[in-house]
Amino acid sequence: MKKSDILRRADYCYNFDRDLWVNPKAKKAFSVEFVDDKPEGEIVRHIEEFTNGNGWTFYFNIKPSEGVKRTLEQVLG
Amino acid sequence: MMAKRTIKDHLEIEDLLREEYFELLPVVRRIAMQLETEIRSLTLSILHNLRPYEQLVVKSRVKECESALNRLLGPKEGRTFDPDKPGGYSLLQLPDLAGVRVLVFPNSRLVQVDDALRNRFVDWTPKPIRYGSGSAQVRKYFGYCDEVSQDIRSEYQVVPMLLGLFWEVEHDAMYKFRPAANSKNMRSQRTVVEDSLISFEKGMESFVRDNIGK
Repeated sequence: MKKSDILRRADYCYNFDRDLWVNPKAKKAFSVEFVDDKPEGEIVRHIEEFTNGNGWTFYFNIKPSEGVKRTLEQVLG
Repeated sequence: MMAKRTIKDHLEIEDLLREEYFELLPVVRRIAMQLETEIRSLTLSILHNLRPYEQLVVKSRVKECESALNRLLGPKEGRTFDPDKPGGYSLLQLPDLAGVRVLVFPNSRLVQVDDALRNRFVDWTPKPIRYGSGSAQVRKYFGYCDEVSQDIRSEYQVVPMLLGLFWEVEHDAMYKFRPAANSKNMRSQRTVVEDSLISFEKGMESFVRDNIGK
């Protein structure tokens, strides 16, 4: 299965403004670059991994700064 | 006097940049007009001597607001301005708020057009763009139109016409759409198209050389 199909099936939508795969309910966001570079298994593992759901979890190749995280949290709701 | 605004959050960064854009816009428009007028004037003698099948088109453009913001962001993951970035952001960091593209067909006219412009823009910085699978390059230059502004940089390109027209579609489809731009398959398809365009241009040149003469 293609990685985009895996994400869509797990209720992730593509955000064109930020180039992110986002699931607001799970509060997780994958950058396009991360999805491109990582194997399918790793994407699935991150989709399934437990987070406390209090804040957003960002899966980026290069860890976003606190400022960028704060901004994205604000924008993604 | 208005109090200096501070950048507190992301939306404010974007809004401040939009504000900056519209402050710069009248000057950017004048630069585009200046550049286009000069380039038209410098290439006029070539235009008058074109053969019936040859073309030379000069197009200017002012970068659109959102496009300028996106360019400033660059290829950063998450496409988000960092409120903690030291030094902040300014659209003056961009090299191409105003630009002119000279579309030329066939390629044998490219060098002629490029030469006609180089004397006037001798201090502009070349930054060629590679395309296709070989060593083909588009001539591209950055610099200042000092008569209008010494703060806002602009660019001009001398581009094979078929390639330039293809880029008008490809630019939105790939350059501005990250998943397509990152896709190996789409990059390869783009190269196939560019190689075909190069091949058509070369074929036309050979045909004219062999059948009509210089």
